[in-house]
Amino acid sequence: MTQTKHIEMRNVRKAFRFFTLEDLSLDLEPGQIMGLVGPNGAGKSTTIRLLTGLLAPDAGEVRVLGHVMPDNQAVAKRDIGFVSDEMRLFGHATLEWHMQFIASIYAGWDEQYARTLVKRFNLHAKQNVSGLSSGEHVKAVLLLALARRPRLLILDEPTSGLDPVARHELLSEFMDVLRDEDRSILFSSHNTVDVERISDRIAFIDRGRLIDSSDKEDFLERWRRIQLQLPAGAAMPELPHVVSRVQDGQFVTLTTNQYSPDLISFLGAGVREVQRMSLEEIFVANVMHHRELRGS
Amino acid sequence: MNMLTRKLIAKDFYLNRWLLVGTTVAGLVALLIAAEGEMRFKIGMITWLTAIVAFGVVLATFAIANERKERTLQFVLSLPLSHGDYVRIKVIGLMLCFLAPWAVLSAGAVALVAIMPNLPDGMLPIIVLLCGFMLANYAVVLCSALHTASEGLMTLVIIVTNMGITLFMFLILGLPELREQLMAPVPVWNSTFWTVLAVEFAALLVTMSLPYFVAARRRDFI
Repeated sequence: MTQTKHIEMRNVRKAFRFFTLEDLSLDLEPGQIMGLVGPNGAGKSTTIRLLTGLLAPDAGEVRVLGHVMPDNQAVAKRDIGFVSDEMRLFGHATLEWHMQFIASIYAGWDEQYARTLVKRFNLHAKQNVSGLSSGEHVKAVLLLALARRPRLLILDEPTSGLDPVARHELLSEFMDVLRDEDRSILFSSHNTVDVERISDRIAFIDRGRLIDSSDKEDFLERWRRIQLQLPAGAAMPELPHVVSRVQDGQFVTLTTNQYSPDLISFLGAGVREVQRMSLEEIFVANVMHHRELRGS
Repeated sequence: MNMLTRKLIAKDFYLNRWLLVGTTVAGLVALLIAAEGEMRFKIGMITWLTAIVAFGVVLATFAIANERKERTLQFVLSLPLSHGDYVRIKVIGLMLCFLAPWAVLSAGAVALVAIMPNLPDGMLPIIVLLCGFMLANYAVVLCSALHTASEGLMTLVIIVTNMGITLFMFLILGLPELREQLMAPVPVWNSTFWTVLAVEFAALLVTMSLPYFVAARRRDFI
């Protein structure tokens, strides 16, 4: 039996005065962690607001856990844990009060797990939220989302502003969520290190458009930086799938998004080095390449 | 009323509990001050009136505008509810929050006039109409806060509604059927009183229903 996709966006458009999210299509299968990566102002938060029902698309269709958004958001959100770096808890209430409040709403609230997270995140349940540091606040919001055991976690820049240790703790918790194969995570960030660490699918978004989406391993396998030394007087041939070329005399650095051993054979003895690229390097090269193609 | 609605209404009561208690205490103290002497009556009644009006403004601002400004709205909207649910819960919850001190302080003012021998019972219709006006006035502030995210517009609404109380007093004391009974030894519940009360009630109903047709149908909430 085919499982319902946790996220389905089809040709979604959302226009604002100075920004338009254009023709966005995105899928997330159960059991996957998708990293939505883009520079500031790329449209990550708009995408997430469409997915959580805070915004309605001007065109296209948004389905979350099989429910059309925003029309059926009340039903869909029973199984969604949404955390945004902009989200704030009630400052005059304690974390304990928030935990009881959420527990009283969600039947799936896991009290034991919540208590474990309180200890693991070094939080104090009796403390007023207004007294929490920004890092502690993010942890508290995440605790409230995680302990309700949602089928889909939607996280909008959850690790921004956190120190490396706190980020490590949170990313470990995200991995823990995925022990259940029916759960999935959409994780937006401009921190490619975090995304590379936990995601198994990655979508790059820039200036309101999805520019590439694939499995993480596929990205890492497809993209290479190749350093060549051309014979004296030889010109660099035109090659397909080369997204950037930097030449300094006889020395050329190519970046390809369709690496294959055949390409190296074609380039021949001039190849000096073939480098794997980090996700950050792939992201930057991808964004710059698409901006060039779009002439901006 | 479903469980989530009850929980969110209870949440607004809990988060505003000290405001509710503080207003009720301040209003009751004001009524005690008003119990003796003409000058003290004026000071006490102005303080009583201020307590109720200020409470309404602070409640609507804190529970709606600040929820938006301090971004706790995102947390609330992450719960399993629609935009329509949110608006309905806010209208019901914050009206109930207001009604609690309003009912106590309105009953206190009526009791003060009814019990104190130095205060003519003819004032009772005016007191009742004033209480009704403050309720309708609060409904305007509450619904405006649900309709607009603009601080400037909200400030304007607050100023206009505050001025509205002074204008209302001028208006009803300008009606001979009400003014001439003010010093009467017994309250006179004449047709003018019932007409003004009916207008207040109608204004309250219209104002309270507007968010269901406008704010609740908004497709983009943040």
